[in-house]
Amino acid sequence: MSATTVKKRFKPTRETVLALIVLAFLLFLSGTTNFASRSGLYSFMLDVSPTIVAAIGVGMVIFTGNIDISLGTMSGFVAYTAGALVKAGAPMIVFVPAAILVGVFLAGLNGFITVKFKVPSIVVTLAMNMVHVGFYATFLPQSGWIENLGPRFTWFGRGRFFDVIPYTFVVAIVIAVFFVFVMKYSRFGKTLYAVGGDAQAAVYSGIDPDKTVMKVFLLEGFLIGISALLRAMTRNEVMPSVFIGRELFFISAALVGGISIAGGSGKIVGAVFGAMFVYLLTITMIYFGFQDYYQFALQGVIILMAVYITVTDFGRFNRLLRRITGRPPVHS
Amino acid sequence: MSTSNILEIQGIDKQFPGVKALSNVHIDLREGEVHAVCGENGAGKSTLMKIICGVHKPDSGTILLSGEPYTVENPNEAYARGIAIIYQESSLLPELTVLENIFMGHEPQKPIVPFLPAVKMIDYPSMRAKASSIFERLGMQIDLDAIVGTLGVATKQMIEIAKALTFDSQILILDEPTAALTSREVETLFETIRKLRAEGQSMLYISHRLDEIFQIADRVTVLRDGEYIETAPVTSVDKNQIVSWMVGRTLTNLYPKEEVEIGDVVLSVEGLCQEGVLDDIDFVARRGEILGIAGLAGAGRTELALALCGLTQPDAGEISLNGERVSFESYRSAMDHGIVYISEDRQAYGLVLPMMLRVNITHKVLPSISNLFGIIDRGQERGITDEYIEKLDIRAPDGDFVVNNLSGGNQQKVSVAKSLAVDPQILILDEPTRGVDVGAKSEIHRIISGLAKMGKTILLISSDLPEILGMSDRVLVMKTGTKAGEVMRRDMTQETILGMAL
Repeated sequence: MSATTVKKRFKPTRETVLALIVLAFLLFLSGTTNFASRSGLYSFMLDVSPTIVAAIGVGMVIFTGNIDISLGTMSGFVAYTAGALVKAGAPMIVFVPAAILVGVFLAGLNGFITVKFKVPSIVVTLAMNMVHVGFYATFLPQSGWIENLGPRFTWFGRGRFFDVIPYTFVVAIVIAVFFVFVMKYSRFGKTLYAVGGDAQAAVYSGIDPDKTVMKVFLLEGFLIGISALLRAMTRNEVMPSVFIGRELFFISAALVGGISIAGGSGKIVGAVFGAMFVYLLTITMIYFGFQDYYQFALQGVIILMAVYITVTDFGRFNRLLRRITGRPPVHS
Repeated sequence: MSTSNILEIQGIDKQFPGVKALSNVHIDLREGEVHAVCGENGAGKSTLMKIICGVHKPDSGTILLSGEPYTVENPNEAYARGIAIIYQESSLLPELTVLENIFMGHEPQKPIVPFLPAVKMIDYPSMRAKASSIFERLGMQIDLDAIVGTLGVATKQMIEIAKALTFDSQILILDEPTAALTSREVETLFETIRKLRAEGQSMLYISHRLDEIFQIADRVTVLRDGEYIETAPVTSVDKNQIVSWMVGRTLTNLYPKEEVEIGDVVLSVEGLCQEGVLDDIDFVARRGEILGIAGLAGAGRTELALALCGLTQPDAGEISLNGERVSFESYRSAMDHGIVYISEDRQAYGLVLPMMLRVNITHKVLPSISNLFGIIDRGQERGITDEYIEKLDIRAPDGDFVVNNLSGGNQQKVSVAKSLAVDPQILILDEPTRGVDVGAKSEIHRIISGLAKMGKTILLISSDLPEILGMSDRVLVMKTGTKAGEVMRRDMTQETILGMAL
């Protein structure tokens, strides 16, 4: 209601709770380690950028009730394309769009098969994941390994503002802000929630779910293209196989960020904080000297807990919080 | 009120495989009137509405909207032509706000980049203004930013109406809008409908609740078995007249009811209550008796069945079996006491469709035909399957036949066989003949009679009144979760039962 000036009470959402956790993490690391140094912050921002962009991409796919688990291997193709073109002497204005188009094409193929043949996206992308890996080994020279790409490739990925903020982080934040805006102010954004929330209700509202799913996969491909470049361009060589398994980080970032795997709910900003959370977790364990495999296992457990708290049982978490703090219930 | 017709439906026919859903139906909706369409379950009301909004296509007949021919392919086109339907099932998204929901898919937009009119963003201020004016029109205070999932059923119903109004529709269709509402909420809804009518909004109101029709409709059209029966102003008819139009069909000899000696009380229920669903239900059922359970959709018949067999837990009341008080914490324990429930939705709950006949029939008795290690004894499995294929005359070549390939009637028989395999004393059959053809229907009735003769107690839930009349020894009539009455076989007529249920 417009006329009545109801003073809104502060109501923490899933996303604000997560943001606070991330903040607490940052403070904790700054206090106990040399994280707050120039190099600590730089490497955090550099590492988290590709995950932020990819989590937004897959997050939107998850909004519609679909999933994509070929994100890692698609990234490998994008990186290879960029590397091969650079080796062939292409300028940035050529290799960047071309590499992104490869992402759009591959994700678009996933979407097309999902929509056209009514195969669940988890099956399509699982299969495509295997196809991609096989393709690397069979058809790419040296399995796609290209070295000595030189500063023509790495100048952007390694560039930084004020000697601390990577260019890649700025790209990631611009993209995040843009998509927060898209979700709020475009019909397309609303449509994603409708299709994932209740496809029948979407049809009753005059929405074509198939078209929406196709569009969201294309968009995801665009973002995966950017994400893969943000990571690839920080190194002097490309190797598609290093991207295998990256999808686990991207998807868990989206899920920790409060995007429901069932579709129809969640926020872009949640995916951004989710990505930060997942990275901070890794960094913390590195600082405290956990071995690789412990790291992996512990990370899995913590992600499970985070998803449980932010998504599955936010209601109970709220009541617990209220009992501890004596505050009125949190809005879910 | 003007008397020009805004919508004319002429001679609509619609055939579904095996069923004539509509035949030569015609309705004319005048501008600014509330026109009720009523009929029993299965009379064709919902099919007709789905034709109007483009979900189904008529086989023949024409529809004129403001005198112009009207054909639409999907709900979207219907909206564009000015017909908005408020569906029985909700079309709202629980995670989104009221504002986002009512404009879903057609949010007002404005260009944001000069010279690039294709780049648009949602125009929230105008969306808000329009939403406020719609809710004002409905006489309703609501927080536009409230998350829909946190609101009550009645509020959601009003939001559905608001959503329909955002399309600037000439015609609103309300399909059983009161099904989930309490009587006070219904009153609020009626206020709104009256308000809209006063503004000249034309509405089609689908319902089988007669009291409501007299409260808000101007005219009423009655359908029966897909056929047009009569249209009349509500002021010139009474409830009895409408009931007789609704039921006035001739009874055929579909019901091979056999006289069976009725024994002692097997099941007795006292004061059964379940919050919001069942209110103080008392009844008994005897050995060899077929107890019909009649009532409208939503009267609580299925809910009663679920509570009786441990699938839901009643809040209060007693269930006794053979004089002993029992309570079931699960369906398994009800089954162990000899109560089985055969679901109305056999495809979803009754059968595993892609599996073989023998797997389905022995499903409930697996523990007794498998050994210590859970390995199934194939001999016993085949024995049981063949026994029931023969007993119930299931039309399948053998026990390896996949259930999905059977006809509806034969699937229903498999469903019954599966339950009989546990040798129950009480069978609760929920709409056993829904969606099966006439021949199979009469076979199922013969099976039911046979079961009663064997001394089983049958609870027969049915919306098919002639079936209730033809098969039951006694009928329990339910209405909005309460027991509306009980009728003995000798006193049964369609009018008495429908009179209690309405």
